[in-house]
Amino acid sequence: MTIPRGRSLTLIAAAIVVVNGFFPAVWILLTSLKTEAELVSKPITWWPHNPTLANYVQAFTDQPLLRYLGNSLAVAVLSTILSLVVASLAAYAIARLNLRRRQLILTCIVASSMFPLVTLLVPIFQTMRSLGLLNTYTALVLPYTVLNLPVCTLVLVGFFQSIPRDLENAAMIDGCTRLGALWRVVVPLAAPGVFTAGILAFVNAWDEFLLALSLNASASMRTLPVGITLYQGEFTFPWPIISAALIVAIVPVAVLIAVFQERVVGGLTQGGLKG
Amino acid sequence: MATGASMIERMRDPSEASLGMLLLAPAFLLLALIVVYPIATLIFNSFFDLRLSGGGGMKFVGLENYLLVLKDPDFWNATWNTVLITLITVPGALVVGLGLALLANLPFKRQWPVRLALLLPWALPLAFAGLIFAWFFHTEYGIVNDVVRRLGFGGEPTMWLLRPGWAFAAICLTIVWKTSSFMALILLAGLQMIPRSLYEAAEVDGASKGQQFWQITIPMLMPSIIVALIFRTITALQTFDIPYTMTRGGPGNATETLAMLIHKTTIDYLDVGYGSTLAVFMFLLSLAVTAVYLRRIGRQA
Repeated sequence: MTIPRGRSLTLIAAAIVVVNGFFPAVWILLTSLKTEAELVSKPITWWPHNPTLANYVQAFTDQPLLRYLGNSLAVAVLSTILSLVVASLAAYAIARLNLRRRQLILTCIVASSMFPLVTLLVPIFQTMRSLGLLNTYTALVLPYTVLNLPVCTLVLVGFFQSIPRDLENAAMIDGCTRLGALWRVVVPLAAPGVFTAGILAFVNAWDEFLLALSLNASASMRTLPVGITLYQGEFTFPWPIISAALIVAIVPVAVLIAVFQERVVGGLTQGGLKG
Repeated sequence: MATGASMIERMRDPSEASLGMLLLAPAFLLLALIVVYPIATLIFNSFFDLRLSGGGGMKFVGLENYLLVLKDPDFWNATWNTVLITLITVPGALVVGLGLALLANLPFKRQWPVRLALLLPWALPLAFAGLIFAWFFHTEYGIVNDVVRRLGFGGEPTMWLLRPGWAFAAICLTIVWKTSSFMALILLAGLQMIPRSLYEAAEVDGASKGQQFWQITIPMLMPSIIVALIFRTITALQTFDIPYTMTRGGPGNATETLAMLIHKTTIDYLDVGYGSTLAVFMFLLSLAVTAVYLRRIGRQA
């Protein structure tokens, strides 16, 4: 860009972006290390005087946090796998087969993400209720799979198109069937794309709140966002314990995106810019 | 992709179309089950008096639900709140996101802290952002009031989440923080695609930094901005998580959005008929916004 490239200016710019992004998580981390007594002393302290891990212990004992963690993980992993399988098949057909109206097919899949989730909530709730599926993993896995189809399909179509067709053709000339070529040539080469789409789908499912709150509200079936939000203390909302629970819930995804940040950014902007 | 014609001929076996259908079938089956069928059910149910609580079955009432919605002050309150949140937070997130993108586009030696700082708010669940900022805005122990006091604005601490106007402001601020970094990521990708040579040429011609920004950066960024705006507007109209976790729609129903009203009517009161009608209005609202954007894109292209 065009801003003067002084070193100190660049550092200030970096500091603004970093503080903006990290501050809320850091503040919650500091809160989670404070004792109840320190928390309600005024004026409030910024740095914990007697850092304690007691809130973390209580976060796991006061409420079934481990259960929430397991529920979130189960729903996110299952729906991610399912959307990857379905989206890979569709994306391969769109990117590789001689189909008429392939653009229209892709548009149809992507346009489904334009429907407000809240409007789908009412009939989905009704259907799941009448099928007796409320408070089951199925109730969330199926909608999440569909929720992630558009972005997964977009990312995967892009990746499939970037794999040279000649490779596949060569495999077929050497006697592979089309599905054999798909399995032996395209799938290994598309692995980074599948992985990128998988991270995006996982984070989306991990973050979803409205459906989880509406369909799986019973205490043992809550996902992390629902469990932590609906947590009630005896008298007041117990902020130190909530903060500890939030840190426990944030860390897995934060590590995931920290390790794979380049892929996540690539997938996000590709999915976004093409949509 | 340009292979020899004979090669393509060899590939085009007659089974290709049926293979395509087979591969696309699961996706379309799921879309039919989770999108098309529900939308149809929704519209159908909006013409019925259908409550799951009484066990009284469904009664056809024609357009009565629609008339009730139009006369419902709660509906207008929620719609107004939703529209206001959209009108405030979408431009807000665009401006903040553009600022972050311009800052993040400077040549840093280490890219990862800056990139992670943009990714973290995106990956954070909206519900968590709401909880964290509710803690920021806590009247007694929140850091916002602490900073206000340290800056010397003494007097009574502001009861952020307990006063209608302040609660609304706090919610909008939280939404802008949470959504601006996704905006920034999209815009950053757009910025990085602008060729340097354009700026160099402008420099030679003596254009000021301001002129370069308005004449080169903004026009070149327009496609990314429009895509980001469409996504953001559609999600802003569905705002639920942040007001729910911060205020539950309160005080009173001062911060209740349309999505929250639909959720309350359907899930808490089990009034599926009326909830469906509200959802139809929400559907029309999103459709109208999408249509407006698509027309503008069409005009630009």
